[in-house]
Amino acid sequence: MRAEDLITTHPTAEAVADALRRLPTPAPEAVEVLRKKLDTVQAPTPGVEWPAILQTARLKRDTRYADAPSSHRPVVGPVLVLAKRAFRLAFQPFINEALRRQVEFNEAILDALALIHEHQRVQAHTQARWRQEVEERLARLTAEQDK
Amino acid sequence: MNFRKSKRGATASPARAVHQLVSRLAWGDAVGNQVRYLRSLLRGWGYASEIYAPQWDDECRDDVRPADDYPHEADADSALLVHHSFESRLVPLVARAPGRKALVYHNVTPARLFAGLDRKVAAACAAARDELLALRPLVEHAWAYSHFSAEELSAAGFPGVAVLPFAVDWRGFDVPPDASLRAELDDGCANILFVGRAVPSKRVEDVLKVFAAYQRLYQPRSRLLVAGYLNRDTTYGATVMALRELLGAERVLFLGRVGAAQLSACFGSATAYLSMSRHEGFGVPLLEAMYRGVPVVAYGAAAVPETMGGAGLATLRDDPVEVAGLLAVLERDTSLRAQVVAAQRERLADLGQEAVATRVREALTPFLEGRSPPHPAPPSDAATVVCPGFDAAPDAPMSRLARAVAERLPGASLWTVRRDVMPVQAAPGEERLGGTTLWRFTADEPSFGGEAGAPPSSSLEMGVRCTRGPVLFAGAAEAVAREAVAHVQARAWGVWETGHTPDAAVRQMLGPRLRELGAEADVAPLAGELARALESGGATHAR
Repeated sequence: MRAEDLITTHPTAEAVADALRRLPTPAPEAVEVLRKKLDTVQAPTPGVEWPAILQTARLKRDTRYADAPSSHRPVVGPVLVLAKRAFRLAFQPFINEALRRQVEFNEAILDALALIHEHQRVQAHTQARWRQEVEERLARLTAEQDK
Repeated sequence: MNFRKSKRGATASPARAVHQLVSRLAWGDAVGNQVRYLRSLLRGWGYASEIYAPQWDDECRDDVRPADDYPHEADADSALLVHHSFESRLVPLVARAPGRKALVYHNVTPARLFAGLDRKVAAACAAARDELLALRPLVEHAWAYSHFSAEELSAAGFPGVAVLPFAVDWRGFDVPPDASLRAELDDGCANILFVGRAVPSKRVEDVLKVFAAYQRLYQPRSRLLVAGYLNRDTTYGATVMALRELLGAERVLFLGRVGAAQLSACFGSATAYLSMSRHEGFGVPLLEAMYRGVPVVAYGAAAVPETMGGAGLATLRDDPVEVAGLLAVLERDTSLRAQVVAAQRERLADLGQEAVATRVREALTPFLEGRSPPHPAPPSDAATVVCPGFDAAPDAPMSRLARAVAERLPGASLWTVRRDVMPVQAAPGEERLGGTTLWRFTADEPSFGGEAGAPPSSSLEMGVRCTRGPVLFAGAAEAVAREAVAHVQARAWGVWETGHTPDAAVRQMLGPRLRELGAEADVAPLAGELARALESGGATHAR
């Protein structure tokens, strides 16, 4: 580390940098192995978007404002749809109150599912890294045996 | 932004009662401790003083009154200190409460540090910054506990911004250590300690990486102690635990929430204190380590360099191998270690209880006596050119373009992220650079250069949000553009350099108002085009 990368007044940054230079230098191979490991172990940070698998459910989480289904019947159908829409319009405040807890539950369960999804992603990454490391070690051992 | 004073301060009658409002009164956290300390000071000065909060820890129930009671119990002679550090939903209550009000800002963690890891906390952090702006017209004064935080308040246009000295109850640290834990830790291993909740902004994963490097390269007989709550059910908790397994470091102890005696044992046996946090409004554990004679190694982000005040070893690099070297040098070079510990003790001399009480009184006196500071003038309609990388590389093509645009526009200013990480004043610094007005804002992190561009700056982002005129993001791929563009979308333009493509969201928001600066392109024609566009108000007629 260079002196200009340190903020310290006593001892001075230069003194600390000097002391760092006096430290026994670690073996370059060990540093390289370590750096490689540090680069690969961190699970990629998930994106800010919701997991694709939950997007559809998320769009439907608010059950209060569902539109009345359309009807294929020629005359009665539109009348029924209109009546349903009128009913919804008139009673929306009551519908909101009746379904409020359902919406809260939907949001909570979606959060929990998103969390499980992320856990699974982290675990999958961890297992993949383990497998890769075991295979590398096995390859090294095999190579040493073949010598 | 304009910091000229627009109107003279007013004088009201002195306060008879000075109360405090906080979103949650917690036991043992920095905000709760400050609130209780201020109450004891205010009562000592003869003011009636209560703490109001909508939520509180069980241990605090005798200290607190329900926030909803404040508007009924206060009168025109009451004064209220509003503490802000997280989403509180208290702005309507503050607005309808009688009496004068002032803000005490502890800083809000940037939402980006939780992005993808905790959606609810990220949303709450973003909402907290919206609330901060909503509080602006309601308060007469604003204080922060660091210049770093005060700069953001100035950028937001708060009146009477000043730094309030942070009070630490040093006696609270003089607790005998837990004997059994101390005996367990004093086994000849070098103990590296981190204290704090394991949340994404604290970067516990970086602490793990530095420790792994230290153990592998310098000291196999070492132990990492993480004293603070880690919720393993969160995505971040799972990530940290997985990383611990993958790194394969030995003797990594997550102690969870610890008591005062256990914490004393941890500090008593620690070889060094390590912090890789990306955001601190102040950073009490750093001072606690200094008080207990433990040398501190910390990444110099946010208010950390200011808190350390030149003592300890604050580093501008977060490379685990290099930071591990600092831990090693503190362990092996006893003379250097002694110098660091002595400098840390000297640093604390300024923070004695009596000296702090005097300075707090000096800071609060104008508010307590009813003297309002002049309000800053509202932001002007002139254009703002935001070029985060200008200070680090003034001769780079994007910096030259930014300057050329600013020089073509009357009254325009050029905003950049200051390369120096230590804030030296409460307001962002204004300078003249030829015919250009240049504002330098403090970075949240010291990592300049590289593919990531300039580091983010909360105060610069806040300043951009508060502009009223057209804005040009000279460096649309920079962090500041990503964070602030949504707030100024309709009057913003952007330029990106070939090879540094902006985020999809930035591209979508700026749409036809986004230009590309080619690697070898002459900046003059593009500067002229952008200046004409900004001069016409920034809004585009393109569809």
